[in-house]
Amino acid sequence: MYQALLTRRYLFSKIMPLLASAAVMLCTAMVIVVWSVMGGFLVMLLNSGKSMIGDVSITWPVQGIPHYQDLVARLEADPAVDAATPTIETLGLLGLPSTDLKPVTVVGVEPEGYHRVTGYRDRLWWRPLEEPLARDAERADPRLESPEMAGWLEDGARLAESDGSAGLRPAVALGIQVTEYNNERTPEGFFRTRYYDMPEREVTLSVLPLSRRGVAIEAAARRFPVANEFHSGLYQVDAEWVVVPLESLQQMLRMDSARKLDPVDDVPRIERDPETGREVLIPPEGGELSPARATTVLVKAAPGVAAAALRDRCKEIYAEFRALHKDAPPAEQHGLIFTWEEKPGLKVFISAVKKETSLVLVLFSFISITAVFLIFAIFWSMISEKTRDIGVLRAVGASRAGVAWLFVRYGLVIGIVGSLAGAALAFVIVTNINPIHEWLGSALGLWVWDPRVYYFDVIPNKVDPVRAGIVVCSGIASSALGALIPALRAAFMDPVRALRFE
Amino acid sequence: MKPAVIISAHDLHKTYRMGRVGVPVLRGVSLDVAPRECLAVLGASGSGKSTLLHLLGGLDRPDPGRGAISYNGRPLGGMSAHKLDRYRASEVGFVFQFYHLLPELNVMQNVLISAMVLLGRTGFARRGSALRRSAEELLDRFGLAQRLRHRPAELSGGERQRVAIARALINEPALLLADEPTGNLDQKTGASILDALMQLRADRGLTMILVTHDASTAARADRTVRLVDGVLEPAPALQGAAQ
Repeated sequence: MYQALLTRRYLFSKIMPLLASAAVMLCTAMVIVVWSVMGGFLVMLLNSGKSMIGDVSITWPVQGIPHYQDLVARLEADPAVDAATPTIETLGLLGLPSTDLKPVTVVGVEPEGYHRVTGYRDRLWWRPLEEPLARDAERADPRLESPEMAGWLEDGARLAESDGSAGLRPAVALGIQVTEYNNERTPEGFFRTRYYDMPEREVTLSVLPLSRRGVAIEAAARRFPVANEFHSGLYQVDAEWVVVPLESLQQMLRMDSARKLDPVDDVPRIERDPETGREVLIPPEGGELSPARATTVLVKAAPGVAAAALRDRCKEIYAEFRALHKDAPPAEQHGLIFTWEEKPGLKVFISAVKKETSLVLVLFSFISITAVFLIFAIFWSMISEKTRDIGVLRAVGASRAGVAWLFVRYGLVIGIVGSLAGAALAFVIVTNINPIHEWLGSALGLWVWDPRVYYFDVIPNKVDPVRAGIVVCSGIASSALGALIPALRAAFMDPVRALRFE
Repeated sequence: MKPAVIISAHDLHKTYRMGRVGVPVLRGVSLDVAPRECLAVLGASGSGKSTLLHLLGGLDRPDPGRGAISYNGRPLGGMSAHKLDRYRASEVGFVFQFYHLLPELNVMQNVLISAMVLLGRTGFARRGSALRRSAEELLDRFGLAQRLRHRPAELSGGERQRVAIARALINEPALLLADEPTGNLDQKTGASILDALMQLRADRGLTMILVTHDASTAARADRTVRLVDGVLEPAPALQGAAQ
């Protein structure tokens, strides 16, 4: 009882306990901010990696997987699989309306299936928007009340646009930062075009078909209208990817269905047209039909199925598929089927980020130990100052344990006040970290978060309540620990000497 | 026939160590105090008066195997730390020369702190209202009814000592141990404090042990003993009353 009264009085009667609380607050806030940003970065990385390549990839670059339609059908028939879709990934050159040429990653997709596996349609940027973004108080987002947005969204979703007659013309979707010179990101979080709207422009896409031995054949170039632009949040994807219809890319890369011809026997014939009397070239009729190919089949797991379990199931399904299609890559080929976490490059990167997060956390935790010593020092000096009070309390019957509890409790209160204030401060900082970062950048030129380094164009801004709880509890425990030894010193103080202390 | 004794000390020795040197302060002190009696221990500074009071109040212990104190027949030496804490909280009230009020607490809180220590959270919650009334009565009696929310720094020396006396009495102890209660006050204020103590003693039937270096203060007691060189001697003016 008396401990509660004295704790309350001690807390607000001196500046030192408030400074100790402030130290605990800053340490707590620092650890929560670091853990939220680094941990959030890792979570964003994992989620983005997963969403861009599905849960499992079956990949055979260059030559591609023939009969992929059968493989997709077999996969989708399995209860462990939610959806599967073929894609082709290759490098290309993009001729922009500004006449610039930009190296890009060209991804051929079937829009419907690609959306079912990756949620592609939800990432299309230009779409009708009824409500502005949270920070767009002035409703300046060009997507608001813009009549052409619905058409752009439809075109982007089907990767085609109307050619004016009844037909559809294949179109491409660009990552929103492929044309960084044109799309400017505002502090409010939306994109504003500087010169023109990309969905009303055309681009030229050049790719290099390869033979089955990986030898370059004649480059193929084709003009495409831009149907829409997409924003995945993963900087590398948004700055480098161009999504095109699978069929168009297959044709450009010569991976579409075709007949195999013998260069000696299967030659075209020249015949005279009986009606016109002109000579026409008749293609050879013989030769085996070579099926269309895709370099990758992306597979999305059914709800509740782990990626590793899906990978194993995909291996079984692929083995059955390979038994029927001998021209497909061998099932035992190393690196053919992998989960999103096992993707070459990504695995090493994720591991590095995990280690970096742990390292930073350990370093900041060490720094936070200074708070323990600070509280220790403050309590040690305070107990010297309060020696006579301790003597008085013992004289009126307070036990040693009671006196010790008074100061441990005091440390706990400092820890609770400081840690909760630190958690609140961290919450404010983390949830506003992007505007803070933008302000630091524009006012002081301090751009800490480079999207080219950290992959994402926004800093993670979510506080994990469990992690915050762990840090708060640690802060409270550290404060109690810092107060413990001084409290024991107070408890075992000779009351007579304490009363005589001057 | 020997009168009933509330507290008795037998052959008390107490030595303080100053580095490697032992400094004997009490060298075989014995005394008996009857219930409701007021005993004055007269002595010069450093004679061991406060040490004797601390031993009697259970704040300190005599040298091992060299002396015993019993309260109502129960030896303090045989009490556990917990029982000794209870003894100080419920049976003894201390009044110090320098008041020793807790500076962060106001007058009312300084008085009630002893009750909080004795009763704990639930006990105090149960009896809190009655104790506050009791504290108000005591403070009113000392002329401090208007100073309940004042901090010690806002009070005069005499007022502080009155608060300290109220704190010593809030748990209604049987034994009041006063260490130079007027030693830090001017003569007039000191006299009024002594008047208050004597009146309370009479009203509540308190046993009081008063240590002082002032003969006029000692003269207010029923009996006076003198502590010289760690040994009790009968005071000259009260030869027959001293042991």
